[in-house]
Amino acid sequence: MKAVGARLPRYDGVAHVTGRSTFVDDVRVTNMLWAKALRSPHHHAGIKSIDTSKAEAMPGVHAVVTASDVPRNVYGHLEALGIPGDEPLLAEEDVRYLGQPIAVVAADSEEAAQAGVQAIEIELEERPALFDVRLAADPDAPKIHHWGNWYPHFEADFDHRQIRKGDVDKAFADADVIVSGVYRPAAIEQLPLETQTGLAVPEPDGRLTIYSCTQALYFSMGVVAAHLQWPLNKLKFVGGTVGGGFGGKVDTATETLIALLALKSGRPVKWRWTREEEFLCSSTRAPWHMEIADAVTKDGWILGRKMLTLHDSGAYARFSPYGVTKHSFHHTGAYTIPNLHFDGYCVFTNRPPTSAMRGFGVTSVSFATELHVSRIAEVLGIDPFELRLRNANRIGDTSPNWISYTDPSTVPTILEIAGAVGHELGGDYRGMTRDPREGELLPDHLVAQQKLNGDGH
Amino acid sequence: MKLTVNGREHKVESAPLTPLLHVLREELTITSPKAGCQQGGCGACTVLVDGQPLRSCLMPVAAVEGSKVTTLEGIGTPERLAPVQAAFYEQYGSQCGFCTPGFLMATHALLERSPSPTREDIEEALSGHVCRCTGYVKILASVEAAARGDVGEEKAEPSLDDAQPGEPGVLVPGSPA
Repeated sequence: MKAVGARLPRYDGVAHVTGRSTFVDDVRVTNMLWAKALRSPHHHAGIKSIDTSKAEAMPGVHAVVTASDVPRNVYGHLEALGIPGDEPLLAEEDVRYLGQPIAVVAADSEEAAQAGVQAIEIELEERPALFDVRLAADPDAPKIHHWGNWYPHFEADFDHRQIRKGDVDKAFADADVIVSGVYRPAAIEQLPLETQTGLAVPEPDGRLTIYSCTQALYFSMGVVAAHLQWPLNKLKFVGGTVGGGFGGKVDTATETLIALLALKSGRPVKWRWTREEEFLCSSTRAPWHMEIADAVTKDGWILGRKMLTLHDSGAYARFSPYGVTKHSFHHTGAYTIPNLHFDGYCVFTNRPPTSAMRGFGVTSVSFATELHVSRIAEVLGIDPFELRLRNANRIGDTSPNWISYTDPSTVPTILEIAGAVGHELGGDYRGMTRDPREGELLPDHLVAQQKLNGDGH
Repeated sequence: MKLTVNGREHKVESAPLTPLLHVLREELTITSPKAGCQQGGCGACTVLVDGQPLRSCLMPVAAVEGSKVTTLEGIGTPERLAPVQAAFYEQYGSQCGFCTPGFLMATHALLERSPSPTREDIEEALSGHVCRCTGYVKILASVEAAARGDVGEEKAEPSLDDAQPGEPGVLVPGSPA
């Protein structure tokens, strides 16, 4: 273990500081075309007609691709897990977010490609749009997705992610106080310095080489192969030098469309999103709406939690069901709450599809839980550090999905924070460890959650 | 038009209003300046024009004709890192690397005109540069190390012998390893 804790040189450090690192935009190939996209000017609209003939006749334009050129236009990011797809690569009948791609053009220069985009004739019929996840879940909200306004394909055809643990009714009957709160963190753009960029090069043997800034190379390869209906061995992906991702480069953004343009034109095609496209059209961290009610005792035990989560999936599902699942497993934050009733929905809005960002699905509930625990402490008049230490995950406690913790870090972390900010703790708390519960730290209501280990049986 | 970049004179065929960034990257194949926003907001395209850091994405090439343009390729090489490069390398001032060329050019210009800058001077000089990875702490530490001359082989710690197999295998002269 010599490398752990050691200051080692970065293997790519010298290349970075001398300008030698080859990001996708730095790859040089001859005869290359540039791509630009016709994107939806509306948040929600029906496509009545599209005519690309003038664009195709423009000087410098070498290929125009619309939905009818895509061998398999609708493919879901989670289809490999048996979840059906809902998102077209290029819009067909309707557009559901501002900036959704409708057609792409490859031309001699970015300017010529943009001129080609502007020459595409399209007729759209604007429809009402939804931007707030809470309002989108109202029964009388306009219907904006062909599956309904929330994702219906969790296991066993559940239309939400559900967790039931312990006896939540008893917890609420036994409580001295019920503390409620609503938490609504907003969307955040990952904002990598390198915008989404891809370069597709047709090879003489019929294969395609794709230079990609994806964070998930083999995943993107699968997505491209599925849309093209190609075997994987006809694709060569080159990647690994990523100019910042932070979760925003998990979704496949450019690769499939430049592949189609390269095949249609027979020439290498690069697509480098503008900063404006990155802000307006790329996936963001989701907005969330979280409602929490906790059953608590006067001396600071959290007996039970009821929680309703609405995750803003944006216009399509992509990875959101996965994010909500992670969210549900972590919905008690760093604390042990033995009796749980959780419902989480993936709600569609007319925002760009949301995706991963640094702790996909979990940062939202950590934010909500920490605020909520502080609120409980305020209601009870208890030291917020001590309330946290008392309910902190310890070895042998179980998560909402019955995983038994073997290495929980809540107690040492909170003790460290108290020390760092000079917060005086009461005697019992000062030397607290994360060792398995016993004595006063193992009241009756926490015994049952420890009896089932691992598999929940 | 003629353009002198990193001491070499090039004949440029791009139109006069083409951004310098585009001429450097697409015509001259000098790719260290990056197209981060192409609207002067992120600093990743920064190059030196007669020693002054400028946004190459906003600068028409005609405006710099006859000037000396310096890019990151012109201040040091992997074999011979400039002090600012060595400092960013050793102090982990570069993470994904995309903003790094711009930060390095701005730092290089700062230390040329002000060899012992205060923290405020550094923050002022780098204020137009955006980095999304580091949180800036290690960038500031890198600039301060460069200003102190706190770079070089004797800082190496530990040696690569301490690393596990599979750790970085390519080392260059001047590396801290």
